[in-house]
Amino acid sequence: MANPTTRETILAAIGRGKPDLLPLPETIGFPPNISVDNLVDSFMKMVQTNGGQAIRVPSLVEASAFLAEEYDLTLPILSRVPGLDISNFTPQEDLRLLDDLHLIVLQGIVGVAENAAIWLDETAIGIRAMPFITLNLSIVLSEKNLVGNMHEAYRLIDTSTGFGTFIAGPSKTADIEQSLVIGAHGSKTLTVFLLP
Amino acid sequence: MDTASPKHAKAAEAFLRDEENTDWHNETLWFVRSKRDRAAQSLPEWEQLREQASQIKAHTLSKLDDYLIQLEENARQNGIIVHWAANGDEHNQIVLDIMRKHKATKIVKSKSMLTEECHLNPFLIKEGIEVIDTDLGERIVQLRNEPPSHIVLPAIHLKKKHIGDLFHIHLGTEAGATDPQYLTEAARIHLRQKFLLADVAITGVNFAIAETGGFVVCTNEGNADLGAHLAKVHIACMGIEKVIPQAEHLGVFLRLLARSATGQAVTTYSSHFRKPAPGQEMHLVLVDNGRTRQLASPDFRNSLKCIRCGACMNTCPVYRRSGGHSYHTAVAGPIGSILAPNIDMKEYADLPFASTLCGSCTNVCPVKIDIHQQLYKWRQVLGEAGAVESTKKVGMTGMDVLFSHPWLYRFAGRAGRWFMQKFPSLANKPGLNPWAIHRDMPKPPEQSFRDWYAQQNQKTNG
Repeated sequence: MANPTTRETILAAIGRGKPDLLPLPETIGFPPNISVDNLVDSFMKMVQTNGGQAIRVPSLVEASAFLAEEYDLTLPILSRVPGLDISNFTPQEDLRLLDDLHLIVLQGIVGVAENAAIWLDETAIGIRAMPFITLNLSIVLSEKNLVGNMHEAYRLIDTSTGFGTFIAGPSKTADIEQSLVIGAHGSKTLTVFLLP
Repeated sequence: MDTASPKHAKAAEAFLRDEENTDWHNETLWFVRSKRDRAAQSLPEWEQLREQASQIKAHTLSKLDDYLIQLEENARQNGIIVHWAANGDEHNQIVLDIMRKHKATKIVKSKSMLTEECHLNPFLIKEGIEVIDTDLGERIVQLRNEPPSHIVLPAIHLKKKHIGDLFHIHLGTEAGATDPQYLTEAARIHLRQKFLLADVAITGVNFAIAETGGFVVCTNEGNADLGAHLAKVHIACMGIEKVIPQAEHLGVFLRLLARSATGQAVTTYSSHFRKPAPGQEMHLVLVDNGRTRQLASPDFRNSLKCIRCGACMNTCPVYRRSGGHSYHTAVAGPIGSILAPNIDMKEYADLPFASTLCGSCTNVCPVKIDIHQQLYKWRQVLGEAGAVESTKKVGMTGMDVLFSHPWLYRFAGRAGRWFMQKFPSLANKPGLNPWAIHRDMPKPPEQSFRDWYAQQNQKTNG
């Protein structure tokens, strides 16, 4: 007989060693601690706690004006938000060229008020590396798509896409003497625009 | 079995010699522990959340084979290449074979305690491969040729002066510079080049989901994503205990993980990888390395619930004052001291004794592992296997005799009080009495509690 493969050996060892079946909890998750009226305030406060900035705007026109004020729009910029047309950068096949990206604007899908994490999937992101390689990141999100906690978020998002991520702020590190530094390897800033 | 040498105690002694640094280490970790407390208290359902997490993990362990098969099947359907490794050597060989297949010579790695456990870096470097750790703390310890001293804060044992000197030599930063902002920026520029040129990216796995055949990687720096999305090949390495049944369960674990680890509400990036991007290749390596043995042991299997948040280290009074390196294992601190003897009982026999058994680790564990009780059980297992150091064994035997003979116990108490009253300088001599190292012995009471109680009784009755 042939030697069993590693896979078979491991699975057999688990079969022998595992405990008797234990049930899953009947319900998973908890109702949110944030009332519907407070979703926006809580979310905006958490964006700030996470090191980003959150701005409430009535329409994309104001968001666009804010970005024009804040960033040099002659630098490589890409917007994937329909109606916010400030792009001057076309991603090439060679992913290394993305390193030039100064600002990218993406459409967030769901925002979580408890921790300010924003879900983006492949359709929102496009080339996966972009929200991580860009120097500055901006996300546009509708207030209608705010939920209280992660349990609610998982009920709404599609986890069957190729790639998706919760982003909660600019990248950060505290590896040098626990001093918080904003801007590790990912984006150095995060600006979130909340639309009605 | 040989008796273990007191490695932890010896290494801790060396760490403690720099008193200022020890105090700083202790206070810094306590600061993180306090942040964790505030984050936990912000959720009224925190305790029930821990209970749910613990139950989901317990259920998963009771069907671990089924969930791994489901994970494998779904991952394959998603286009991920799945590998199984019985131990660290097999794991390392799988990674090397993938490198060779692609004629790849450069790897960027994000933090993965599993690859530390398997000693992947030295293996690949010996094969002529450039291995760059990209988490800032990991890169720092890599440049120092050291292992990480903490699973979440790998360079927590170093001060910014050390890092400034290190970066001056390796990254050409200004001599004497210690500003964390400046040093982090230098590392960003240095590592950006490595990300852009790497052939292969290795990441760990925080959670793998049987239902979707995908996996989740959590970082604050964005290094895992940057590496994985830029390289042609992404290899994700996981211990088999990292699987959970469904995506919905992530809601429970992601609320617990960062709060327990650093006191953040969530990590900056919680990335869900499910299919390789067009033109890229994705591998998932499932590693046993002793986990099935741990699963088969009712006393210790709960340790497989661990989600590697590091909360038990931050709260441990021994870890905070002895430093992660004193544990001489990839995962230091209380949880590591349960995991390590399972991998090598002889090598790590000292670790279950590096604890006060105060239970603080158990109190903060987000998945409710009975950490201090398992440490206590390991001591018994090691005692029976003869792996307890001889001085400790003599002491234990002595106490056994003492406590089973009340008259002897009373006599010893009287003798002890008399001795400490007459010769306090001898009792406080560290060379004669190890309990007097770093502390003075208390003044002995005039009488024993037993005598005092008898006296009180006499007073009331008389």
